[in-house]
Amino acid sequence: MEQQRPNRLTGFITLCALVFLFAPLVVVVLFSFHSTNALTPPFEGFSLRWYDEVLSDRTIREALLTSLKIASLTSLATLLCGTAAAYGITRTQARVRGLYASLFVIPIAMPALILGVALRSFYVDRGISLSTTTVVIAHTVFVIPLFYVVAQTALGRIEVAQLEAAADLGAPPWYRFRRVILPEVLPVLLAGAAMAFVISFDEFIVTFFVIGNDSTLPMVIFSRLRRVIDPSINAISSLLLFLNLTIWLIALLYSLRVQRRRRLDQLAQKEDVL
Amino acid sequence: MSTMLSVTNLTHRFGQTEVLTDVNLDVEEGEFLTFLGPSGCGKTTTLRAIAGFLTPSEGRVMLDGEDVTALPPYRRPVNMVFQQSTLFPHLDVGENIAFGLRVAKVPRAERHTRMLEALELVRLGGFERRRTTELSGGQRQRVNLARAIINRPKVLLLDEPLSALDLKIRLEMEVELRRLHRELGSTFVYVTHDQREALALSDRIAVFNHGEVVQCDTAEAIYREPESQFAASFVGDANVFEITVNSADDHAVTTDDGLRLPVTGHAGASGPHWLVVRPEDVRFEPAGGTLEAVIIDAAFRGSSLTYRAECASLRTTVKAEIPDDLEASPVDSIVTMTWSADRARLLVRD
Repeated sequence: MEQQRPNRLTGFITLCALVFLFAPLVVVVLFSFHSTNALTPPFEGFSLRWYDEVLSDRTIREALLTSLKIASLTSLATLLCGTAAAYGITRTQARVRGLYASLFVIPIAMPALILGVALRSFYVDRGISLSTTTVVIAHTVFVIPLFYVVAQTALGRIEVAQLEAAADLGAPPWYRFRRVILPEVLPVLLAGAAMAFVISFDEFIVTFFVIGNDSTLPMVIFSRLRRVIDPSINAISSLLLFLNLTIWLIALLYSLRVQRRRRLDQLAQKEDVL
Repeated sequence: MSTMLSVTNLTHRFGQTEVLTDVNLDVEEGEFLTFLGPSGCGKTTTLRAIAGFLTPSEGRVMLDGEDVTALPPYRRPVNMVFQQSTLFPHLDVGENIAFGLRVAKVPRAERHTRMLEALELVRLGGFERRRTTELSGGQRQRVNLARAIINRPKVLLLDEPLSALDLKIRLEMEVELRRLHRELGSTFVYVTHDQREALALSDRIAVFNHGEVVQCDTAEAIYREPESQFAASFVGDANVFEITVNSADDHAVTTDDGLRLPVTGHAGASGPHWLVVRPEDVRFEPAGGTLEAVIIDAAFRGSSLTYRAECASLRTTVKAEIPDDLEASPVDSIVTMTWSADRARLLVRD
């Protein structure tokens, strides 16, 4: 491909775009270390007081734990249900496979607001009391379509002949799943579960409708923002950012490693043909 | 010798389409039987019914005296080598080969010894720690073979295992398969559409067509005494003449056009028939007889010459393979064809 030499104008536009994207993040993180309670420049000195305040605040600590609990359970439920769904659909007859698959994928188009309202009226109508459990259910419903797409792609790559070979060598269905399918798709499934964790951890709208007396971290941030504005919000945001980035980074590195191995395998196969 | 595998009255339908019709086969212990036929003839379906990948609509599969028709593949003491390599990418060569033993919970030490033995048997000693992607196509198929035979299956099933390989490697692998069969002494059932492969490998050949076994016999018997026009033309090269017999004696038949064609032992035959003559049985004599033909093509094949000759009286093109040491007949020359009466075969045409 022909590479264009950067000129001044495109360089400037690129710079503007990057500043626009990252400046708020930098400001948020920077002012979380501010020694005074001002949120805007000038910056008057470093301090960890807001982190101290945030981490010693009981409401925030509880909300963090609630969020972690919900995200972990959501991630686990998504992993189990999503994998089962995707695996089941790859094993069904070709004629109905497309129909089932689209039923699982279509909810991606559903706005969080509608899902929140719908689930809340369902819970209330059925007399199910709102709690973190209802949030986990709601979050799982919310992220499963995304996870399903990821899992389906990975599972679809496994050749039927390979599973037949495993059966022929004496492996019953569960053994085939554990020793032939899972080693192939586990990296992708774990990356999908990490995605589910991060989405659930950040989620606000659906949570808002279906949570009971507990509060998740995004909800605490929101309610605090309405009362006071001081760098403690920045400290919470920075912590969230750090946590999200870490999970994404782990998932990314992991999938890169898997992709690299797959590419090497393909290369080896190509050489073999030549 | 006892019967190791027996397929009785096997019929299978996919929806409305009947793909197998009343297939009956017996395979002796230690035998190399080949299912031969064009694509869609039911040979692979039969093999899959034996392996357990499909439950036949009707009929039974008996393995060493036991009815296995209803058993899933993982409960049948047979193993299969597939057309394309089916090695597990996350396992190395040794782990792939030992897969079946691991499923069967064979102790680690025995697993290892048997894995090394199997590797030696397919002449890949020292390859146990290789990744499967480092292997060539031929080596991969050897690993697939080793992975199947390590389980000491009662019957080894081979579904066109060589068809994805280059000709040169295919010929090498044929030699290897014959050697393996001799050394193991176990029962092999082989599927192929390549009649040359079938003739080269098998003790017996079951010729399939349209979901039926049209003939099951030794390679030589099928080649020399085909029982149908299909078997004659599918196995080996053949001239199949469509004739109507007017009268016949013990040495020849006379067609309704008055042609006298040599064939032994059909005195009293009449009506529509096929006459089968192998190209290597055709001889050329100087022009002047009833079966005059014009040479339209001649190709040198090393030890022989292959001719195509237009025969006006039979209204067809005849293939002939003449040994190289005889005088060559140039294109456009006119010859008279003949063949030994006992080499020709007369089949009733319905």
